[in-house]
Amino acid sequence: MTMIHNGLPAQMSYREALAHAMHSALDQHDNTIIIGQGVTDFKGIFGTVLGLAETHPSRVIETPLAEDSVTGICIGAALNGVYPINIHIRADFGLLAANQLINLAAKYKYMFGGLFNVPMMVRMVIGRSWGQGAQHSQSLQSLFAHIPGLVVLMPSTPEAIVSSYAHAIAHHAGPVIMLEHRLMYDLVFETARQATVPHPFGSRVERSGGDVTIVATSIMVLEARRAAAHLAAHGIDCEIIDLHSISHPDHQMILDSIAKTGRLVVADTSWQPYGVSAEICRIVAERDPRLLKAPVVTLGMAPAPCPTAKALEDMYYPDLHVLVDATARLVRGREDHGVPILDAKSMTDFYKHFKGPF
Amino acid sequence: MRCVGCSAGFGGTALSVETASRVQKMVRTSRYEALFAQALRIRLFEERLIELYPFDKIQSPVHLSIGQEAVAVGVCESLTREDLLSTTYRGHAFYIAKGGRLPELMAELYGRANGISGGKAGSMHLAAPEVGMMGASAVVASTIPHAVGSALAARLRKTGQLSVVVYGDGATEQGVHHESLNFAALHQLPVLFICENNELAVHTRPDARQAYRIIDHVGTYGIEALRIEEGYDFLRVGDVVGATVEAMRRDGRPRFIEILTRRYKEHVGPGEDFAAGYRSRAEIESWMAKDPLIADADLVADLTPAIMKEIDEAVAFAEAGPLPDRSALLKDVL
Repeated sequence: MTMIHNGLPAQMSYREALAHAMHSALDQHDNTIIIGQGVTDFKGIFGTVLGLAETHPSRVIETPLAEDSVTGICIGAALNGVYPINIHIRADFGLLAANQLINLAAKYKYMFGGLFNVPMMVRMVIGRSWGQGAQHSQSLQSLFAHIPGLVVLMPSTPEAIVSSYAHAIAHHAGPVIMLEHRLMYDLVFETARQATVPHPFGSRVERSGGDVTIVATSIMVLEARRAAAHLAAHGIDCEIIDLHSISHPDHQMILDSIAKTGRLVVADTSWQPYGVSAEICRIVAERDPRLLKAPVVTLGMAPAPCPTAKALEDMYYPDLHVLVDATARLVRGREDHGVPILDAKSMTDFYKHFKGPF
Repeated sequence: MRCVGCSAGFGGTALSVETASRVQKMVRTSRYEALFAQALRIRLFEERLIELYPFDKIQSPVHLSIGQEAVAVGVCESLTREDLLSTTYRGHAFYIAKGGRLPELMAELYGRANGISGGKAGSMHLAAPEVGMMGASAVVASTIPHAVGSALAARLRKTGQLSVVVYGDGATEQGVHHESLNFAALHQLPVLFICENNELAVHTRPDARQAYRIIDHVGTYGIEALRIEEGYDFLRVGDVVGATVEAMRRDGRPRFIEILTRRYKEHVGPGEDFAAGYRSRAEIESWMAKDPLIADADLVADLTPAIMKEIDEAVAFAEAGPLPDRSALLKDVL
């Protein structure tokens, strides 16, 4: 296997990157623990922590169904020299920890005037497809990113996982929330094509282009890549920014890109109101709205809880058709933009290499 | 040696206040005087807050522990600087008893840059990590799991520290109390849970809030649970906590102690609220009659001048402290 980029193999799945990050965390840092419901079971959080309970029995800690206290336990452990990695197999369960995350972890350093640091990582998995429904699929990045004191990241590639998880554990002395997309776990990426980034927590230019800027999060970065490849064949050159950091997006990177393209599409995995879409628009509107040649376009989930039925679920999420059509309309400035809409599978079907249960 | 006048609960006959005072004077010990002085220091500090409050020098809600000092003093007596203590927003007493500094505390209440946390914490979020005071939260019960986590860390790092968390009777109603007891018992972690039971959650009595007896509830986890009725008696509290702490240092197992106490002032603020009708002055007066800080008037008189001088200096330190400037506003967010 060809080894490149910090010893990573040339090809790597999202799941393998997560497992690599977790194994490295325990192997390289004696003070690290992995804690959560299911971390020692035979599935090992979709395989991302498998084997670790055997090699590090005292540092991989199964928990009761008690997200509130476990998050507080992580804070207490962090205050006493341990680095906790707390995993929620569905991001929705992270809401049971909202008091500890928002009222305590986020504020502990500030409200005590810098007397304490709370270095800890919270992994939350976003479910999707196969009828995950309203309470197993939520993409809650905006809610957490709204709170000063929290770093919220949505890695979309193995490179982003390996670099930002390692950086969080070794160098960031505060709480970090990692939102991982379940649908990407089985996807294999070419690690060689990962861009070098100035900061592991930073936004990334995923693709350079001159006609339109697509700011995307998580799996929408992959969808933007598919759309960009198709649009390029029809004369539309997309620049893609993988936002990665939801809480601290790279404002200048976004503005520089729009200065070049004059057009903005925001493609997020969550709802548009009060969210990532709204925030990116705020950044542009406050800094220099004159950069825009046309009104912005935002794409997100339908403004409803997620339905379970497959037929409705397919309509619920923005997909390649919507992204291609909306981007082409924006660039061409008219409804009949002339770009054929791909007869591609929905994103769920395209990315899914398995059938339930999951 | 134990104060005879404070021996109720050890099987001794409770003495009348007058008799107790006389006997106390005869058998004063250095331990008694040291704990008394610490308790009095807390009371006089908070009584100074009552004097200062009308002048708006302190623009932060204060939850006073007047009446409850013996709990803080008795609990902290056998803790070391390395032992970690998490507390509630009614935390002045514990901050002082654990070894925090009065000038920085007063400056913090004044919102000054030379306060403990540069004015960002106020009264409700006191901390002194240098003496193991690991922070308080204004959200009831939310620091309970922190002590469990710090005990987990102590176990993993083999530091030998005890973790202690203090919370009120109302906090036992929160689910996180159950979750924390369960986790501590499951992993047999060295956490001492202290329930400072003043029988009020803001203005609501236990019979309107709890369908369980706290100590029975805790017992279901297999955690050894004790109850101290004489929460006014710092020696009694100190003895029970001391014996418990000693046992915990030997076996590393969790323990729980409920300590009955009374607050003399309103839930938040410097005043009294007996006129509000939810509790009677007579109930508190019967408690006050047993309060050594009232009963032992001679010792109060002996110790007060030196304490008042210390408090005066703390006020001067706060008055002279600079206001935090804009550079502090966005400092320490991440």
